[in-house]
Amino acid sequence: MSEAIAEKPAARRRSWDIGRYTLLITLVAIVVVTAIGNPRFFTINNLFNILLQISVLGILAAGQTMLIVSAGLDLSVGAALSVAGVVAALTIVSTGSIALGIAAGLATGALIGFVNGLLVATNRATPFIVTLGTMTLLQGAAIVISGGSPINGMGALFDVFGLGDLFGVPNPVYALAATLVVVFFVLRRTVLGRSAFAIGGNEEAARLSGIPVRSRKIGLYTLNGLIVGVGAVVLTGILDSALPNMGNGYELRTIAAVVIGGTPLFGGRGTVVGTFGGVLLLGLVSNSMNLLGVGANYQNVVLGLIITAAVLLQKRG
Amino acid sequence: MEPARAASGARSSEQARPAISALGISKRFPGTVALENVDLIVARGEVHGLVGKNGAGKSTLLKILSGAQPPDSGRIVVGNQSFAALTPITARRAGIAAVYQNPELHLDLSVAENIFLGAEPRTRLGLVDDAEMARRTSELLGRLGLSLPPEARLGDLDIALRQQVAIAKAVRERASVLLLDEPTSALNKAQADFLFRLIRDLAEGGMAIVYISHHLDEVLAISDRVTVLRNGRCVGVVASGDVDKDDLIAMMVGQTVGETAARRAPHPPGAPLMALDGVTVPGRLDHVALTIAKGEILGLTGLTGAGARVLAEILAGIRTPSSGSLLLEGEAFRPRSIHAAIAQGVVLVPQDMRGRGLVMPMPVAQNLTMARLKAIAPRHWLNLAAERERAEALVGQLDIQPRDTTREAGLLSGGNQRKTLLGRGIFAGARLLVLEDPTEGVDVDARRQIHAYLRSLADGGTSVVFVSTDLEELIDLADRILVLRNGRIDRELAPSGLTPERLLAAIQSDHERRHAQETEGTSDV
Ligand SMILES: Nc1ncnc2c1ncn2[C@@H]1O[C@H](COP(=O)(O)OP(=O)(O)OP(=O)(O)O)[C@@H](O)[C@H]1O
Ligand SMILES: [Mg+2]
Repeated sequence: MSEAIAEKPAARRRSWDIGRYTLLITLVAIVVVTAIGNPRFFTINNLFNILLQISVLGILAAGQTMLIVSAGLDLSVGAALSVAGVVAALTIVSTGSIALGIAAGLATGALIGFVNGLLVATNRATPFIVTLGTMTLLQGAAIVISGGSPINGMGALFDVFGLGDLFGVPNPVYALAATLVVVFFVLRRTVLGRSAFAIGGNEEAARLSGIPVRSRKIGLYTLNGLIVGVGAVVLTGILDSALPNMGNGYELRTIAAVVIGGTPLFGGRGTVVGTFGGVLLLGLVSNSMNLLGVGANYQNVVLGLIITAAVLLQKRG
Repeated sequence: MEPARAASGARSSEQARPAISALGISKRFPGTVALENVDLIVARGEVHGLVGKNGAGKSTLLKILSGAQPPDSGRIVVGNQSFAALTPITARRAGIAAVYQNPELHLDLSVAENIFLGAEPRTRLGLVDDAEMARRTSELLGRLGLSLPPEARLGDLDIALRQQVAIAKAVRERASVLLLDEPTSALNKAQADFLFRLIRDLAEGGMAIVYISHHLDEVLAISDRVTVLRNGRCVGVVASGDVDKDDLIAMMVGQTVGETAARRAPHPPGAPLMALDGVTVPGRLDHVALTIAKGEILGLTGLTGAGARVLAEILAGIRTPSSGSLLLEGEAFRPRSIHAAIAQGVVLVPQDMRGRGLVMPMPVAQNLTMARLKAIAPRHWLNLAAERERAEALVGQLDIQPRDTTREAGLLSGGNQRKTLLGRGIFAGARLLVLEDPTEGVDVDARRQIHAYLRSLADGGTSVVFVSTDLEELIDLADRILVLRNGRIDRELAPSGLTPERLLAAIQSDHERRHAQETEGTSDV
C-alpha cells in the first residue's frame, strides 16, 4: 500500500534477557556441582530415578500450566489426587480389576475438575478462593472415604507403575511424557488451548470475540481434573497404596514448577516445556541435595530460595 | 478553528535556553529501529506538535522524555540539567509531566486526592487536611477555568474530565514541560476545543507543551512549530504558519499523496439486512426504529450519552433492549451470547482497545483470527500454516507495521494496534460489522486506506455501522448519518455536500450550542 517501512531484519537480540536463560543456567550449574561432588549422579540409574521421582509432580504441573495460562489456578489438585487415588484403590480392592480401578480414578479426577470448572465459570469468586474451598472439602472427603487409613492390596497396579518398565524406562515416566505431549498440543494446536491464552490475556476481549468463555473454562478444569486422575493412579501404583493425605503439598509445588518454568501467574503466556524445566529443576535440586547429604530442612530453604528467585526474575507482561 | 496560538511568547524567547531539548536520541527494539538520532527542541511557552505515521516513533520519544523508557543514546537537557536517561522520578523532579490519552490516575480516589497525591497538605497532627486540600483544589481548578467538583470520584468522570484532572495535577506539581500523547483522540469536538484553550493558557503562562496528534488541522492550529518523524528519523521542523496539512502529510509519508478517495457513488439501497422497531432501553434509548440495508455504510453520532453507542451495542447483539424488536433478514435477532451473535454474522469492533479489544500478550496473527477460529480450525484442531497465511494477507491489506504476524500485539504502536483490532472484525466475515471509532489513533494516510477497504467490503454486500464523533470521518465514510439525541434518532443526513460545521451544528442542539459557547463543554458534552 504505502512505502515499505525500513524494517531492520530481526537482527540479533541486543538486550540479553536474563529471565529467559536463568532456568537453563541453574540446571547446568546443579548438574556440574553435583557431578563433581558425587560421581553416582551421572549413572543411568540415577537419571531414571530422578525422572521417576518427578513423574507425578510433572503430570500435575502440566495440567496446572493450562489453567495458569488462562489466568486460572487449581489449589485442589493435591486433595483431588488423594481422593481419586483412594477411589481407584477401593475399586481395585473391591472388584479386583485394575482397569476398572484406573477408570474410576480418572473419572473421579475429571468429575472434580468439572465441578471446579463450573464454580470458577460463574465468575463469582476467584479461582484461588473457589479451589481453596474445594481443596479443604476434598481433604476431608479423602479421609472419610478411606476411613482414615491407607488402602493396600493392589498388587497388579504396583506391578504396572511401581515395578514395571519398558526398555528400562520406568512406566510412570511414560505417563509423564504422554501428559506433557498432550498438554503441549492442547495449548499449541487446539481451540481449547488457544482460548486459554485469549482468556488469560484479556477475558473481556475473548468474550467479545465470541469465545464461549464459560464452557472453555469448564473444559480446561475438566481436562486438568482428568490429568490429576492420571497422577493419582500413577502415585497409587508407585506407593502400592492409597494414602488419604498423599497429595498434600502438590498444589504449591505444581505452582512453583509452573512459575519457575516462566509462566506468569496473571495468565496469557506460558509453555509446558518451561514447566517441565521447572519440574526438572526441583527434582534435580532435591536429588543432588540428597546425594550431597543435605538435610531435609536445608533442602526446603534452598527450594524456597529458588522459587523466590524465579518469581523475582520473571519478566512483567 | 482560529489559530490563536501563543505565538508572541514562543517567538520572542526562542533565543533563550529551551525548556527541554532532546538531542541525538536513538532507540532500538528487537527487530525495529524506533528512533534514530532524533532532536526535539521546545522553547518556554511554545506548543510543539509532533506528527508522523503510525509507528514513526512519536510515543517512544515521549516515553523517553517522561522517563518511562531509557534511550540507547542521546541526551536530554531540561532547563540547566542534562541527562543521559530519565526515570519517572527524575523526570518529574525536572518538571516534566506526561498526560496520555487515558491518564494514569487512581479511579477510586477523588479529584482532589489525585491532584495532591503524595503531597497532601497536613494538619498539625500530621493527618491529611481534607478541608485545606479541597480549598486548594478548588482554587487551582478555578485558576485553570475548570469546573470539576473536587470531591468527585475519578472513576465517575469521563475521559475528557480525567485528562483535565491530570493536567491540573501537572500544574500543581509546577511542571514546566507538559507532554500530551493523542489527548483528543477519544474526545468530541467541544471537549477537544476546551482542551485547546487550556493548552494555550498554559503555554501563555510559560509552559512548554509537546502535542502528538493525527488530527493535523488541530496540530497546525494549536502549535507554534511542528516536528515531523518518519521511520524513526526527524524529517523536518517547521513553523505552523509556513505549511499546510498536505505539506505535513507529504513530509510524514515521504511523497505526495493523492486526494481523498472519492465517495462511493450513491448506490440503490440494497435489500434490508437489519430492521429495528420500537427499540427502548430505559433512560438511554427511546423507541428507535431503523433499517439497515445490505451493503450500506451507516454512521451514528451524537453527544456523549445521546444513545449512539448504546444503539451500536444493541445492533451488535452485546446488549439486549428492554423492549422493541430486531429483525435480521426477517428473523428475530436475540442472540443469547456474543458467540451466537457472531455465528449469525454480526461482529462488534470495540473502541476500548486495552480493556475489551486486543489480547496484548498474544501475537498479531492470533489476535486477528480469534473471532473466527473455525476458519482455521475445523474440528477444533488449529491449522497454524493456514492461520499464518491468512494473517499475513490481512497484515498486508491493512498495512499493519511491522509486517510480522508473530509480534505480540502489546508491542505494536497505538495505530497499528487499532488496525489489528479492525482486522479481527474483518476476518470474522461479518454480514453486519459494527465499529466503534474505527480509525481512532490511525494516521491520515492509513485512515484513507481503511476507509477504502471498508467501502470495498460494503461493495461486496457487507453492511457497516460505525459510531464516531469525528466529523470528517462521518462525512467521508458514511452513506447516511444518523444523529441521536436523548435516545432518539434526531436527524438523518446525507453526507454529500455536508460540511463539518453543519454536521456539528446538527449534533449540538440549540440549547447545548449556547451552553457550549459559554463554558466550552465542561459539563456533559
Ligand atoms: N516495547 C517495544 N518492543 C518492540 N517494539 C516496540 C516497542 N515499543 C514500540 N515498538 C516499535 O517502535 C516503533 C515506534 O513505535 P511508537 O509507539 O513510538 O509509534 P507511534 O509513532 O507512537 O505510532 P502511533 O501513531 O501508531 O501511536 C514501532 O515500530 C513499534 O512497533
Ligand atoms: Mg503512539
